[in-house]
Amino acid sequence: MSKSSTLPRDNGYFLRAEDITKIYSDGTVAVRDVTVEIHSHEVVGLLGENGAGKTTLTKILSGLLPPTRGQVTSPRGTVRFSSPREALDFGIGMVHQHFALVGTFTAAENVALSHERPFKRIQLARAREKLEALMEGSGLHVPLDVPVEKLAVGEQQRVEILKVLSRNVDLLILDEPTSVLTPLEVNDLFELLRQLRDTDKSIILITHKLKEVQSITDRIVVLRHGELVGDVKTSEATTERLARLMVGQALEEEADAVELSDEEIPSHKERREVDRSGEGVLHVADLTAKGNTGEIAVEGVSFDVYGGEIFGIAGVEGNGQTELVESLTGLRVPIKGTATINGTNILGKDPREIYRLGVAHIPEDRWELGLVLPFTLAENAILGVHRWEEFRGPLSFLRWGKINQHVRKLMERFEIQATGPSAPAKSLSGGNQQKLIVGRELAKDPAIIVAAQPTRGLDIGAAHYIRQTLLEMRDNGRATLLVSADLDEVLALSDRMAIMYEGKFMTVCSPADLDRETVGMLMGGVTAKEAT
Amino acid sequence: MSERTQGTFQSRLLRGAHRTLTGLHPALESVLAAVVGLLIGALAMWLWGYDPWGAYATMLKGAFGNGWGLSDSAALATPLILTALTFSICLRAGMFNIGAEGQVLIGGLAVITAGYFSLPPGLHHIVALVFAMIAGAIWSIGPALLKLTRGVHEVISTIMFNWLAHFLVLFMIGNVVVNPQSADQSIQIPSTAWFPKLVRGTDLTYALFVSIAFALIIYFILWHTAVGYEVRAAGLNPTAARYGGIKNKRTMLLSFLLGGISAGLAATMIILGSSPNHAMFRGHGQLTNVGFDGMAVAMVGRNHPIGILISAMFFGGLTAGGRLMQLGTSRVPVEMVRLVMGVIVLTMSIPELVRVFPSIKKQTTELVKSLKKLVGSERRRGSA
Repeated sequence: MSKSSTLPRDNGYFLRAEDITKIYSDGTVAVRDVTVEIHSHEVVGLLGENGAGKTTLTKILSGLLPPTRGQVTSPRGTVRFSSPREALDFGIGMVHQHFALVGTFTAAENVALSHERPFKRIQLARAREKLEALMEGSGLHVPLDVPVEKLAVGEQQRVEILKVLSRNVDLLILDEPTSVLTPLEVNDLFELLRQLRDTDKSIILITHKLKEVQSITDRIVVLRHGELVGDVKTSEATTERLARLMVGQALEEEADAVELSDEEIPSHKERREVDRSGEGVLHVADLTAKGNTGEIAVEGVSFDVYGGEIFGIAGVEGNGQTELVESLTGLRVPIKGTATINGTNILGKDPREIYRLGVAHIPEDRWELGLVLPFTLAENAILGVHRWEEFRGPLSFLRWGKINQHVRKLMERFEIQATGPSAPAKSLSGGNQQKLIVGRELAKDPAIIVAAQPTRGLDIGAAHYIRQTLLEMRDNGRATLLVSADLDEVLALSDRMAIMYEGKFMTVCSPADLDRETVGMLMGGVTAKEAT
Repeated sequence: MSERTQGTFQSRLLRGAHRTLTGLHPALESVLAAVVGLLIGALAMWLWGYDPWGAYATMLKGAFGNGWGLSDSAALATPLILTALTFSICLRAGMFNIGAEGQVLIGGLAVITAGYFSLPPGLHHIVALVFAMIAGAIWSIGPALLKLTRGVHEVISTIMFNWLAHFLVLFMIGNVVVNPQSADQSIQIPSTAWFPKLVRGTDLTYALFVSIAFALIIYFILWHTAVGYEVRAAGLNPTAARYGGIKNKRTMLLSFLLGGISAGLAATMIILGSSPNHAMFRGHGQLTNVGFDGMAVAMVGRNHPIGILISAMFFGGLTAGGRLMQLGTSRVPVEMVRLVMGVIVLTMSIPELVRVFPSIKKQTTELVKSLKKLVGSERRRGSA
């Protein structure tokens, strides 16, 4: 497995991406005219919100995704591979957010596995010797003889990094490496990255955390909506500037970008005051919940949502929003705190009991949670309400006649384009599927609507329609909890909003009280106090 | 250039075949599988020097050609309908229950126990049916609870329960419910509990109507009640079902119980109906393979109660007609029928294969590419 890793470095760069544009087959422009250079002996931070094009750009940089226009070159030739293995042979390795480890294998076996070619003998003893030497050299220590599933997440990540380093890479790409680590582990990781840089490696760090990117990188590249909006030396960047670059200059400009003009969205300033005395329709206090891997995902969150208002939660995805919504809708049992709807406790109850209290839930994943795709429109339209009196006759017989009538009404009211109630849900377009879910949930005549990413992946028309519907429900006096990774959506629709970062609310205020820069800093985990 | 056009033509052809096969209506898929199975059976017969068309003609005539044949086919289909339902109900709920075989045996044991009572006809039937249903359901609780509480996969546990049932029944027939006159069989059920014959001189009894009625009941439960709706939703997408307030564990338990009831009934159909002895034997005799054959029937019937009625009739016909194939002019061994059944089940799973076709295709092209390279380099070496 020996290969020449000494590259000609006198050209001053390791990789150069020129005028890169990537348009996906569905027409999404993920990256637009980006030119960027990666030098050796350098840690580059790649900063941006969800959907800014960070992942697409790194895939192109590592040669795994062909750009629509432009090319990636290195002094050794064009960068274009058909598999991660080829990229590794070239000297580019990536550590993904979700590890690619065999849980029942030990660290040594996992590393050896990454070197294997089919039908060659596995030389575990030799691989292990080399690995021990590598651990000595890099100062990156992991227990070698324990199955990796027994290791802490930080240790697993170190195994992943060892796996890549053992291939002698020159460019190491890390995708949100700190999101799963404790603060102490983060320090260790950064120390290691500095060491690697000093041995002339290049490192790209994908992140949305401002503090981190400032503490470790030499240079910061900022993407927004697929465009390169900043390429600055870390020493010259201020937190405010980075925040502004990340989330954009001004509200008005951004509002255009998502097709929310003033005439379409009634301004929240003009509306009558909502009575916010006492507890809200939804009252949450000190809620703490664990995530799927056992980490604390939601930490001591408290808020009220009152009738007639939309309470928005913004933030980069993966900061506890999913777990919060699941805790409030019966899909996850929190470990601490209280949550009530009109005074009745909802924690620990199952979804059916919670729906009975007047909760509508528009889930964030419409294919996994919201719909049974092989079911028909009619069958999907009663999911969750299938035991309601109006649809159920004696002996729990379903009254399909009544149900089909109900579906036709939904199709008309929510403009769902489909051939009829017996069309399979998977034959519908994404927008119509989402309208079906929204229609089903709002037809429950709810007291509170929990809407998670309600317009994600929808075309402009469908997204607009759903936003309008949410505003109508608000004007009808319903309480709405809106969770969205689309910052502009939260800013435009919410009466009050919170920004969530690492399981906590950074602030709760009116969108009008926040300027763009502050929002960006809060989403990146910097509080107003720290910034000044 | 020409190679390239050929390549695209090939891939277009493959894509076209892929689309056609995956787009087939489920019922057509079943018919196609049956036809392919019969053709491969014919090929095998021809290879071994038999006359396939004569054999199939005999089989067809024997199975559906006259009232007697039709009655025999229907009699053989009667228990298969029920064991197919066992498999299908659980599959609809997202589980692979292969425990029908054991549940049939335990159901049979319960029917024999009911034979100790002396009751008037009618009431005796009901007692025997209820005994078998309860016994089948009880035997299905074991795997269900193991899955719900400990996460034991139902394939493993149902296989184990099949063996438990096998030896338990063996012991009971030999030692407890043993027939004093003949040690290798159980006591005989009194005639007050026998199903009356539907066609005299054949095995067809009124049991057929019980089977059909039960299939219809299952159809109505699954497609026309809230409970059945929950079972199907949980089977297709458990996450969405949970979101919809459905308790997945409850639907699992329920589907297992319904399956057990169905399998228990299947035993009743045989012991009170088609069996001339109205008893159980130490080798299980007529009860052997009823559970496993039910799985094939369920697959061909596309796990739909109505489809199962049709495919059970088809399989019953294969068996009934197959018996005649070894007589007459063709004299084809009866094992050939099992071969045809096996090929049909294999063919049924081909649409699944086609669904993973893109990856197979990719691997094949890569293989062909590397072979070409190899051949090319050999040729160059040879010419040089």
